[in-house]
Amino acid sequence: MIALLEGLLELDATLLTVAAGATIIGAVSGGLGCFAYLRRQALVGDVISHAALLGIVGAFVLSWLVTGAGSKSLLVLVPGAIFAGIAALLLARAIQDRTRIKEDASLGVMLAIFFGGGLMLLRWVQRGRPSISGRAGLEDYVFGMAAAMTRADLAMIGGLGAFGALVLALCWKELKLYTFDPGFAASLGLRTRLVDTLLLALLVLGIVIGLQAVGVVLMIALLVTPASAARQWTSRLPVMVALAALFGAVSGLVGALISATELRVPTGPVVVLVATLIFVVSILFAPSRGVIARARARVRTRRESLGSGAQGAAS
Amino acid sequence: MIEVWTILIAAVTAAACALAGSFLVLRREALVSEGLAHAVLPGIVIAFVVTHDRTSPLLIVGAAAMGLAMVLLVQLIRRTGVVDRDASLGVVFPALFSIGVLLANAELADVHFHADCIIDGNLSLAVLDRVVVGGLDLGPKALWSMGAALLATVTFVVTFFKELQLVTFDAQLAGALGFRPVLLQGAWLALVAIVATAAFETAGSILVVALMVAPPAAAILWTNDLARLLFLSVTFAVASAVAGFYVALGLDIAPAGPMATMAGLVVLASLVAAPGQGWLARRRRSVGAGLDLDARLVRARAEASGLMGEKLRDQLGWSAHRFERASARR
Repeated sequence: MIALLEGLLELDATLLTVAAGATIIGAVSGGLGCFAYLRRQALVGDVISHAALLGIVGAFVLSWLVTGAGSKSLLVLVPGAIFAGIAALLLARAIQDRTRIKEDASLGVMLAIFFGGGLMLLRWVQRGRPSISGRAGLEDYVFGMAAAMTRADLAMIGGLGAFGALVLALCWKELKLYTFDPGFAASLGLRTRLVDTLLLALLVLGIVIGLQAVGVVLMIALLVTPASAARQWTSRLPVMVALAALFGAVSGLVGALISATELRVPTGPVVVLVATLIFVVSILFAPSRGVIARARARVRTRRESLGSGAQGAAS
Repeated sequence: MIEVWTILIAAVTAAACALAGSFLVLRREALVSEGLAHAVLPGIVIAFVVTHDRTSPLLIVGAAAMGLAMVLLVQLIRRTGVVDRDASLGVVFPALFSIGVLLANAELADVHFHADCIIDGNLSLAVLDRVVVGGLDLGPKALWSMGAALLATVTFVVTFFKELQLVTFDAQLAGALGFRPVLLQGAWLALVAIVATAAFETAGSILVVALMVAPPAAAILWTNDLARLLFLSVTFAVASAVAGFYVALGLDIAPAGPMATMAGLVVLASLVAAPGQGWLARRRRSVGAGLDLDARLVRARAEASGLMGEKLRDQLGWSAHRFERASARR
């Protein structure tokens, strides 16, 4: 009886950790995703998150080489993910700047090298020769498994999330100006390269904190979908960021709860579908921009013009 | 023997993907392949749930329909103007893919439609699934379906080569000539969706993207001519697939990752070695240009001062190496 109670309590503690982590991830990625959305870098985010797989598995293998046991601590894996994501992005930029390969294709090539390479390394680790201790569960980074989150992971996610939010708050003006009008920002003497790098770093941060829970394949949706939904309700950046963070947090929380308690399905797809639902509701029902609001406005305009036409005929 | 069949399937898949992908890359829509490679999954799974037959042709029909649905959805969302294209692709394909993953998890947990297969494909299993007519073994089914997709793509490209060229490089002129690119593009996209679908089952999502984008991107660095570009990208794709297969065999892992990596490495190699566009060629050109300048300088200085050899070199203050190379150049 007592053992059962203890078990339940333990389960609740785990569940609490997972729920808190997924909420933070959703809020941070959703909020930071607004900048990627407004700068039309949605697919850049997709490539960074896929590329992170090579960094994650690489960091795991490196920790095994150094210590003799593979570590799945986020403290080890997140730096690897950041490194690989930034490397892929810089390489893609170098290619599109110097050759006639365009942005979309250079990003696709990075997908092939970094995600293909990451997958190759992952399967090599998984095949079990040499037997690397701690390798079980590494494959969850592909589709995400929020249930794997530990207290230490939560602390890391919370710390990184708070850091991202702090940077966003401190550099708000510069980031906003550069996002909407880079040319004007440069003419005001803003150091645009620095701001560009900062935005990039924030994008990478928004991606890597969610990889454990949502997975490399679907992380793009947590960046883009809440931002796209929030955009429907407002034209003001602060409101948009706040709304996207809220939508992301709700998606993360609901998704993690469903995935952790009910079916033990991968978390990523569930989170994405919750976010997509919010998106669909937003494009349908948002005031003024929503599909329904616009259809009604069209009908009203037509009725008014018909009405004035009828009046004109009568007079 | 199994090895030969596997390589054959991989090569045919690679060729079809590269051919279909070339036009996506040229039209700067390379990442549509990323969308397609993920969006076909729910189509395959739903068709499987309905038919309970993993080899049913309905699977390809369902998946291709889903791929087209994705393209249409993206265009619909973009046309409403509420979300731009990049973002609408980023919203739609993860949503469809998520549905597919969850369905596959719920319905097919016991069948070998495991989550790993979504990423890796199942090339090694594809070989074992044979077409047998009247007791006669006619080879793996995957080879037949992929072969059909390749044949359809080649036929389409050969038949509409001029039109494709026009639409790809100058859509406005095509429209002005009274040519309806919408129809051709629609047909072409349908074909790309079919190729992506047929390839998805054996190759998995990442390899479809890699084979559709990387070989054409490499080929762009080697030539300006469309026909040559198509030929080169097919060659690169087949070479990557075969090389990747042997890497996978050596490491004893699924071949999707190694094949995709090889396709990416071909691009990196082309960035260095391609004539004209490559790093080596550009470096040689800039060195050549520098030498030409030096040679002209030497001649001009010699005429002006009447000095020769060592004295001329002293006056220029150059190293012996630089002076000799400049003097030797005509």
